[in-house]
Amino acid sequence: MISEREAAKYPFLNDAVTLVETLGLTLEDLMDPGHTKVLDRAERRVAQAIINGEATSELGDTITELLSFPVGNMFITAMGEQFLFRRYALSEAVRAQGLLKDETEERLAKIARLEFGWTLRLVDESLDGRLYRFELLFKDYLRNAAGFREPEWKIVNRLMREGYVLLTRREASRLLQEEIQRRIADLVSRRRQISLPGPLGAKVESLKKFFDENRSRLTGEDLPSELMTEAFPPCIRHAFEGLMAGKRLSHMERFGLTSFLINVGMDIDEIVNLFVSVTDFDEQFTRYQIEHIAGLRGSRTKYTPPTCSTFKTHSVCYNPERLCQHIKHPLSYYRIKVRDIQREQGPESGDEAPNTQAAK
Amino acid sequence: MAEQDWGSEQYVLEHFGGFYSTGAQHVEAPTEIKQREFGFLSFGGRTMFRHIGFEDTEELRRYLRNYSPAHSYFSAAYYQEPRAPMAEKGWIGADLVFDIDADHFDLPCQKTHDRWTCKTCGEAGKGHPPERCPGCGKATFAEENWLCESCLDAAKYEAQKLLDMLIQDFGFQPSELSVNFSGNRGYHVHVRSPLAKDLDQLARREVVDYILGIGIEAEYQGLTSRQVGGGSMLGRGGWRGRTIRALYDFVGKSTPEEIKALKLGRNTTRDLIEEKDEILSSLMNQHPSRIVRYIDKKSMEKLLDAAVDEQASAIDTVVTTDLRRLIRLPNTLHGKTGWLTQNVPIEDLPDYDPLTMAVAFNEGTEKVYIKRAPEINLQGEVYGPFEEETRELPLAVAMFLLCRKSARVVR
Ligand code: SF4
Ligand SMILES: [Zn+2]
Ligand SMILES: [Zn+2]
Repeated sequence: MISEREAAKYPFLNDAVTLVETLGLTLEDLMDPGHTKVLDRAERRVAQAIINGEATSELGDTITELLSFPVGNMFITAMGEQFLFRRYALSEAVRAQGLLKDETEERLAKIARLEFGWTLRLVDESLDGRLYRFELLFKDYLRNAAGFREPEWKIVNRLMREGYVLLTRREASRLLQEEIQRRIADLVSRRRQISLPGPLGAKVESLKKFFDENRSRLTGEDLPSELMTEAFPPCIRHAFEGLMAGKRLSHMERFGLTSFLINVGMDIDEIVNLFVSVTDFDEQFTRYQIEHIAGLRGSRTKYTPPTCSTFKTHSVCYNPERLCQHIKHPLSYYRIKVRDIQREQGPESGDEAPNTQAAK
Repeated sequence: MAEQDWGSEQYVLEHFGGFYSTGAQHVEAPTEIKQREFGFLSFGGRTMFRHIGFEDTEELRRYLRNYSPAHSYFSAAYYQEPRAPMAEKGWIGADLVFDIDADHFDLPCQKTHDRWTCKTCGEAGKGHPPERCPGCGKATFAEENWLCESCLDAAKYEAQKLLDMLIQDFGFQPSELSVNFSGNRGYHVHVRSPLAKDLDQLARREVVDYILGIGIEAEYQGLTSRQVGGGSMLGRGGWRGRTIRALYDFVGKSTPEEIKALKLGRNTTRDLIEEKDEILSSLMNQHPSRIVRYIDKKSMEKLLDAAVDEQASAIDTVVTTDLRRLIRLPNTLHGKTGWLTQNVPIEDLPDYDPLTMAVAFNEGTEKVYIKRAPEINLQGEVYGPFEEETRELPLAVAMFLLCRKSARVVR
């Protein structure tokens, strides 16, 4: 059986879940003042996901640390924000990876095999000045690394033989992070959205408010939460309309349009649907690519759309307007145009513009 | 001039029918036939009959006997409901498939047997069409693509390199691989393995990049400017060994003139010539980073590109990453040649000659009028070239010309 401390470090492991189950805690139990610490820690987990995208480990009080994980999951499910499902999963996975990379090879291998079904062998090979400690079957490798953009993760650049890819300890734990993230994202998004009673519900409400305050920073900078297609610059409008008309977009148009839509706050699912409905793209693949651009995968950098000059070189720039002469970036066009339109719409909505900016 | 029934479709259809009346017995069902989708193109038909499913081999053979399709395909994928519309099929997994087609290569022989004609101004030339017509600058061409032993050998060579990588690098068992001559200009390789079956599209893309050597960087092939320890990589498996062996061969074999012809950096060119023995012995005995001081960055990229070109296998990128692809069914006829799509045991591949083995119509002769055709070597005999002439030819040759729509039957 798993120790309490181990379970607190890796609460998503099957053994840890079983351990929590044997405690048989009910929702009522959790609302008992004796569990305030658990609720507070769960709230902090979610808040850390929102602010930093990376939770810390608090192993001083292992039972609180352990119990706060399922409670945190519950909060996330109850908040019902698609965006947060993935961000929370990432935040928890990064936390776990920080601990994993210092585990012994044997411990890493055990988790990888038993929990995630990896076909993995321990080796001890020093090559190119690096110490390789594992050999992983290419299928398990690709499931986790195929989405990474950095060249060192491409299998052409890996040492591979007879189906096994050599990995250092740090690399193995990085790939495990992907597995963990997927598992947690599944965990929180599969469950039905619930409304929680009493102090639990109160925590969810305050977390929702906290997320709303940070939403613009995380998903769309200082832009309005409603998409304003009428404020799109000519290039984006052209690509967007082309897509709707079933035209094949060039690579640059697709990347430009996707990153633009992400940056003005369009929901990832909406973008996926948009692409899948008008093209014959494979949904899974499209989602993967879009999540990449949104910074939820791989290098975890969120891509901003290319500048006007890049758009010009790739003939994405289309019928530039007067306003285009004064800007260098399609997003600036959007920002200025949004403000203009809101101003035109009269004093009430005009008053809101400075507010949105102040919340930044 | 009106279309004069080039290809004598009815005649070819009847012969396909004759073939399948006995030949259908030799068509084997793919594994898990109930989970496969089938697709067929009929003569004269423009649309594919897709979403067809069979319960067993007999049902499939009956279909072939009844309809004598011009082209027969099955899905690399496994579905819960292969007959359902695409969105409702329930994808279970897919074989990993590779398509090698000499049509995508740049070969000297194509200059002798392929031609293009500009659809706008009628300008014509040999080989692959140019980017833009030298006559009028437009870019739409009619192409007449043929084939010969050289293209087929080139395709086979690529298939062999692919098999090496699948077995040595990916660790697939030879028994998990099957190789088919496509019935036209190339080969298909199917991997049926639990390791391949549920690879998603991104993973398959990575496999494609691996086979093509796309994205290889010197730094990750041990060619770093940082001097690191470790031994020679000449005998190493995977791309690491491949790139280093190709470099070794190149440095060892090239004459000073050949090295100069590459237009590498000035110092690099000098070192490759003057320090040749030193470089070779480093590659043989030490870590590849030892040779980086002789070769500047740009030159290294060029050398690596050349090494990759030689070692990679020229597969088609689209086929492998398409999770719902239909592929030709072995032992069926190819409607553009009248030859068989034919399974070739891996151990027989080196000696396999499709121009004798895959020919389906072996008996009799037919009188045909030929518009135009280059020389063709079939079953050890050379025929043609032909230009606006009537000839009585062995049925295999006549069928080939008819299937390519370059002749019609004269009765
Ligand atoms: S100038 Fe910039 S914003 Fe305007 S159309 Fe061109 S690329 Fe788009
Ligand atoms: Zn022309
Ligand atoms: Zn040829």
